[in-house]
Amino acid sequence: MKHKKLCFAAILALALNTPAFADLKVAASLSDLASVAESVGGKHVSVISLCKGYEDPHFVPAKPSLMKAIQNADVFVSVGLELDGGWLPLVIPGSRNPKIQVGAPGFVDASEGVPVLEKPVGTVSRAEGDIHPLGNPHYYMDPKNLEVVAGHLARVFSDLDPSNAADYQANAKAFDGKIESALKGWEKELKPYAGSSIVTFHKNFVYFADRFHLKLFGTVEPKPGIPPNPRYLAETAAAMKKAGVKVVVYQPYYDADASRELAAKAGGTAVEVPTEVGGVPQAKDVLSKFDFIGSALAQALGKGK
Amino acid sequence: MSHRLKLLVVTGLFFTLPALSGAQTRSIISNLANPAIGFNALFLEQAAPDLNQPYGPQFQEAEISLISAVDPTWTLTGNITFSPDGVDPEEVYATTDSIPDISLKIGKFRADFGKQGTLHTHAFPFLQAPVVSVNTLGEEGFKDVGVEASWLTPLPWYASLTLGAYGAEEGAPDQPLNFGSPDHANIPVLGRLKNEFDLDDDTTLDLGFSGLAGAGAVTGTGRADGLIHAVLGADLTFRNVPLRQSNQRGWILSAEYLTRGTFREGVFQDESDGWFAFLQYRWSQSWWTGIRAEEAFNASTDVLAQADPSLTGHVRRASANVTWTPSEFSQVRLEYSLAQVDQVADASRPMDHRLMLQFNYVIGFHPPHAY
Repeated sequence: MKHKKLCFAAILALALNTPAFADLKVAASLSDLASVAESVGGKHVSVISLCKGYEDPHFVPAKPSLMKAIQNADVFVSVGLELDGGWLPLVIPGSRNPKIQVGAPGFVDASEGVPVLEKPVGTVSRAEGDIHPLGNPHYYMDPKNLEVVAGHLARVFSDLDPSNAADYQANAKAFDGKIESALKGWEKELKPYAGSSIVTFHKNFVYFADRFHLKLFGTVEPKPGIPPNPRYLAETAAAMKKAGVKVVVYQPYYDADASRELAAKAGGTAVEVPTEVGGVPQAKDVLSKFDFIGSALAQALGKGK
Repeated sequence: MSHRLKLLVVTGLFFTLPALSGAQTRSIISNLANPAIGFNALFLEQAAPDLNQPYGPQFQEAEISLISAVDPTWTLTGNITFSPDGVDPEEVYATTDSIPDISLKIGKFRADFGKQGTLHTHAFPFLQAPVVSVNTLGEEGFKDVGVEASWLTPLPWYASLTLGAYGAEEGAPDQPLNFGSPDHANIPVLGRLKNEFDLDDDTTLDLGFSGLAGAGAVTGTGRADGLIHAVLGADLTFRNVPLRQSNQRGWILSAEYLTRGTFREGVFQDESDGWFAFLQYRWSQSWWTGIRAEEAFNASTDVLAQADPSLTGHVRRASANVTWTPSEFSQVRLEYSLAQVDQVADASRPMDHRLMLQFNYVIGFHPPHAY
């Protein structure tokens, strides 16, 4: 009898300690998209990101554990524009999950509806490096584009989980409100530096620069995906010096030495700035990520003035 | 009809048909759904003083890859290779991911056996296939027409179980397995269990076991030999890719054991076996280096084969290479290998020093390589 009571107590304790199952299990290839999905899904979703914020989204190792992680996902959110094209073609089929295969209702290309910049015109050639033939895929660096993604996710979540559709729509609207409100602050913070030039490691600040009126002077890598060589760095440093460009921006996953060397040669500073949520501990979600980028850039550009 | 009229009609047709056919092509045939196309080319320069081969550049292999969704259910892939030996539809297969937890593959493809056995030539970690692979499974793995189902089990870690069945074929020069029994019941079968564990964010452990078996034939007779021929294997790989430097640093430590033999009265009798182990280290975005040690028993290799293709021996080989990858789409690899053979019938101990330089290029679409 005592034994039975103990068993019952154990089962009850286990049941009470088990978290409630989310209505939708969402996985994203990028932490920024996961952050937006969390905002839109709220309490109805559980969300994971396959790419960590300090990991180069172009070169995520297609570990089998990633396939396992999405075996039971209801929704997969891809960046699209081939940013995750180097690893997703292994991970998605490897999950053996029909719900999130390309073309299934649970597969979301988050770039749909986003105004894409740097769409190549004319001949597309790898002589120009590892360019993205569908346009620059780093659209998540413009906060306004995340509103498009939020609206898209709200529609998909509503289709897959109609009982909570009103919440998804309301959450997306609230997310837009937060972005709009924060955007005013970021614009104010960077307004004094409008027209200033920066050098980035990769062409992943195109959307940010467009939104906040910065100029992109060049990149640390000579062409997308091609590592810098000493001659190129010397030439770029000389050009920066001549033009008075003093800020070099790089991400946690890029070659910090090359960025620092370029900045030093040009008499400027190199700043580590995340482009993805989780790139630095302070960037906990998309809002705090842009908070961090805004302050870091304002500080670096302020020094150069 | 007068000659003039005929001439007029023919001339009119001559000028109007191309226009008509062009109009029809534009309106009926679309190229929007063309498959993704990739092309890979390998060139090899080799200096091997112990082999009766000229030095100098050689065309090693080219491969055209085509892949596209057929419809919402199927995807079709084709890898057609061109080499000095001819053209080979190396892999042509359809896959579907429409079944929960199971991936299904039908066609001609590399069987899911071990690690090395699933690699295309251009993805080999070392230019030469391991001696034991050549003598057990085949230089480029086991490639036959068949069907494979791979189940991602519900275990808490990545554990996939693959089961396969293939058409029966007798051994060929690049296919040492004898599955040529004409018995109707002879359907060679495969089983593979692959496990992967994340030891931490950067390092993984991959452990696999594979087996492939079928009924054999008495060589050259087409008659069943009454034996079950099989190859068994185990593979272990540690891989480190620092997430903050996934395109700049990392290492792979891998080992594989393979044995080929026959089951006689339920007991496996080994005919040829061996192992290889290698370490690859990436020290920048553009540079890799690697070393490999291997040993194979009752095996043949180039220096033996040129004396007598039927000779076998105890082969030991060491290899070292350095790879320059200026981009994701090109690679230049310099490799040196030293092989020594013992226990040959005439008690000689031939050696093979070899220096190789390979140029590897890819254009168009190229599917990512398995982790």
